[in-house]
Amino acid sequence: MKETYTFTVNGVERTTDQDKPLLRYLRDDLHLHSVKDGCSEGACGTCTIIVDGRAVKSCVLTTKRAVGKNIITTEGLSDEEKEAFVYAFGSKGSVQCGFCIPGMVMAGKALIDRVPDPTEEEIKVALKGNICRCTGYKKIIEGIQLTAAILRGDAQIETNLEKGDVYGVGQHAFRLDVREKVLGYGEYPDDVEMDGMVYASAVRSKYPRARILDIHTEKAEALPGVLAVLTADDVPNNKVGHLQQDWDVMIAKGSITRCVGDAICLVVAETREILEKAKKLVKIDYEELKPVTSIAEAMAEDAPKVHSKGNLCQSRHVTRGDAKKALAESKYVVTQTYRTPFTEHAFLEPESAVAFPYKDGVKVLSSDQGVYDTRKEISIMLGWDPERVVVENKLVGGGFGGKEDVSTQHIAALAALKVNRPVKVTFSRQESINFHPKRHAMEGTFTLGCDENGVFTGLDCEIYFDTGAYASLCGPVLERACTHSVGPYCYQNTDIRGFGYYTNNPPAGAFRGFGVCQSEFALESNINLLAEKVGISPWEIRYRNAIEPGKVLPNGQIADCSTALKETLLAVKDAYESNPGRAGIACAMKNAGVGVGLPDKGRAKLIVHDGKIELYSAASDIGQGCATVFVQMVAETTGLGKEMIINKGANSEVAPDSGTTSGSRQTLITGEAVRMASADLNEDLKEAGGDLSKLEGKEYFAEFFDPTDKLGADVPNPKSHVAYGFATHVVILDDDGRVKEVYAAHDSGKVVNPISIQGQIEGGVLMGLGYALTEDFPLKEGVPQAKYGTLGLMRSTQIPDIHAIYVEKEELLPFAYGAKGIGEIATIPTAPAAQGAYYAMDHVLRTKLPMEDTYYSKKQKAVK
Amino acid sequence: MARVRKKKVAVVQCLGGCARQTSAQSTDAAGTAADGKQEKEKNHSQSGMSCQQMSETEAAVTSCEWGCLGGGSCVEVCRLGAIHINDRGAAEVDPEKCAGCGLCAKACPRGLIRITTEEYNIYPACVSEDAGAQTRKNCDAGCIACGICVRNCPMGAISIENNHAVIDEEKCIACGMCAVKCPRGVIRDYNGIFTVREAKV
Repeated sequence: MKETYTFTVNGVERTTDQDKPLLRYLRDDLHLHSVKDGCSEGACGTCTIIVDGRAVKSCVLTTKRAVGKNIITTEGLSDEEKEAFVYAFGSKGSVQCGFCIPGMVMAGKALIDRVPDPTEEEIKVALKGNICRCTGYKKIIEGIQLTAAILRGDAQIETNLEKGDVYGVGQHAFRLDVREKVLGYGEYPDDVEMDGMVYASAVRSKYPRARILDIHTEKAEALPGVLAVLTADDVPNNKVGHLQQDWDVMIAKGSITRCVGDAICLVVAETREILEKAKKLVKIDYEELKPVTSIAEAMAEDAPKVHSKGNLCQSRHVTRGDAKKALAESKYVVTQTYRTPFTEHAFLEPESAVAFPYKDGVKVLSSDQGVYDTRKEISIMLGWDPERVVVENKLVGGGFGGKEDVSTQHIAALAALKVNRPVKVTFSRQESINFHPKRHAMEGTFTLGCDENGVFTGLDCEIYFDTGAYASLCGPVLERACTHSVGPYCYQNTDIRGFGYYTNNPPAGAFRGFGVCQSEFALESNINLLAEKVGISPWEIRYRNAIEPGKVLPNGQIADCSTALKETLLAVKDAYESNPGRAGIACAMKNAGVGVGLPDKGRAKLIVHDGKIELYSAASDIGQGCATVFVQMVAETTGLGKEMIINKGANSEVAPDSGTTSGSRQTLITGEAVRMASADLNEDLKEAGGDLSKLEGKEYFAEFFDPTDKLGADVPNPKSHVAYGFATHVVILDDDGRVKEVYAAHDSGKVVNPISIQGQIEGGVLMGLGYALTEDFPLKEGVPQAKYGTLGLMRSTQIPDIHAIYVEKEELLPFAYGAKGIGEIATIPTAPAAQGAYYAMDHVLRTKLPMEDTYYSKKQKAVK
Repeated sequence: MARVRKKKVAVVQCLGGCARQTSAQSTDAAGTAADGKQEKEKNHSQSGMSCQQMSETEAAVTSCEWGCLGGGSCVEVCRLGAIHINDRGAAEVDPEKCAGCGLCAKACPRGLIRITTEEYNIYPACVSEDAGAQTRKNCDAGCIACGICVRNCPMGAISIENNHAVIDEEKCIACGMCAVKCPRGVIRDYNGIFTVREAKV
């Protein structure tokens, strides 16, 4: 007889004869979907459960080793605990994308059970094995503290908060998705189960650059349970791509691979186990070729062409005034070369999608940043009218730009159409790391000049981006790097040249900051050097040059009335000046909205149905909280409470296209469309004497579009973007060179959700600190060397005290109640501010990220 | 923040089982055969030899010069009764009783006891510097430096130094992956979740 393993799960005795990771047993056999699969390597903590009172990663423990043990998942919490966690996490803003949350809850519970009144330090230690990429941990720590207080009886649950009768703009709004995310019943694509659902996964290239000589699929096809093995021949149009269709769905026999993420064939099988076996049975004959692994190699005349048109993917030339003359006449000039690395998004939820035949086409349940983008890419691949493809977002476990391109969605659709059944494609963590586009690695030389008073005169710079194997969003990212390399100041002579080169490295594309993290790191570092030459402080030189309403930005755009950069500088002045030799400072600006003459439209539709308002707008909430923001906009306009307004989510079949979650645009662009639609509804509501039932069945549609000028438009003051957000960060070190505090002051216009914006800022700052100090993405001949656990993501025990400050002005833009959004900018000034702090401490200019010779880079002593 | 509750705890970096089995009688300078735990305990109780004295005798009591002598000097100094010599002839700490005072670590002539904090419940229980093949001969629970833990550690926290696994606590998140993957059960979890505590066997 087969050996069996018996243990208790949530109070019920369970027996299995399979020895496998407990994670798989809990998810696949018991359907306990609160236990998330973030890496299956023990690194991320999303699968944390409690075993005999200890927080344990269920992907590490096996059914065999769990024999006799008492296991609890989030589903097994008592009602009292559930309510305490839901309220505390909602009230404190602990929840963003939510993928890490059930694991955090279990780590928190294990601690509280042992220590009913844990200190902040104890909570940090308890969460050390759990990564959160959204919040910066602070709000989660506060959530656990409040949970503990409630469970001790020292704090009470205020039920009105979750009910949300007062839910307008600026209110302490309890996010819509707190309960489902805290308790783990909210569905991400990987949690979807359908009748007859099967699994697909791609066999990917062993080498970054190799000719595919042959693909032997016979053995895999012969394995019982394998339904199909697809190759490039099975794809109607073998190209996808967010903007440029240069990305092969699969590399055809005879063709050359471009990176290790390249798919060569796609196996579809009845179960995950058969799928894994079948993938190993596929044999591919390669002719290994020497890869192009750097910008310099890509530029070489005899370089192999990664794409047939050559290795230069994109270039931009942004110029205004006469930079050469201005710099020649400047009192002080500094020139420096800077290098920044690829960065991995490391969102907690690996890419996943479920696709199934639907009506006259296919439907895809997706985790992405724009359902219409995904629809477009799939329809291009299939050669179909876009309408035949329906894309609906499930919960999105973080994106940060890394889920703008299709990853799993198109191959799931392809497989579903082939086998005529629902197909799930979920990336393994390493597959995710190898496949999706990273933040571009940059090499750039920046020359900035100023006069004797430190007033900037001109900027000349040359920016080189490694865009890896595919274009992804190279064009706009490079463009934003160029247009924002000037900083939030007001000089008028610029000559900026940007180049993005293809290599055989993993592709690079959108990542929170969209090119600006790279160029502003360089610019802000140069500013510190100029301040030194002039003999004024880094704060002072920024204040003297800071943009203000009515002044002209270096791109020619006149700063609007809401501009509050100076206010952010003033907000951190004391913090900066009271820490001499230990503090660094940096400013940033970031566009809200795509701008540059593109038809960047926000759309929303409200339908009164069953006495409630249903909100339809296909704008992906990737964790940042825009779904809640839109409901707040409706609440503000109509005076109705949260329970009367239902956000129906992003679904291309029923919700109008409201663009990509990119460019910090949803709060303003879609927010204004929602406001417009709700204003129309409110007119009728007033006429109806406030009786919503009288509007039953009525629809209100609105489209928002504020035209902008394209780059290089021949007008004196081109308007590049609808709005800009501004920020100043101050990073303060302790005497050991550890980051002790960060002050992050932001101008985001009107703040819609104060708790959410703090979480966005804190999370952005921690991401920026990782970029500055710990995160790297080493490559060896084009092959990523990092695992999830070694990316250098900051952990709870490493966080400094982050002070999120928002300045709100009286003068606001006439859109979306004056909100400009937050999104990307929170990440941008942190790295140069950290660099400035080290420069203040030891006067060593660190021109490379992650910075060398810091507390964080020193090799830690191994414990014997 | 005044409260300090970061509990320290001792771990023994040997799982025992290396007491000299063969030719012990002819070579044992102490004149007593050390055949497993009972014999060693007898050594201790009858001869009254401390671990220090045992380690200074000309012929080793254990076949492995890095292993626990089982003489119980740590047991004697522990004021909390948190250490005992287990069935395999090695010292074992009860983490619930241990306060991490460090007296046992000082008493061990082979430096096998390490003081760590509660959060690092995963530890390699072998510090043998012998080559893998030799360790394999010496005992059934020694680290043979196969490197499986190194490959499976998600954090890149483990390295092989002097022929045994060493965990860098700065990087370790105590996920337990190494303990689960270790083919010889050398890497232990003193919470008894990923690996079973000897005391409970």
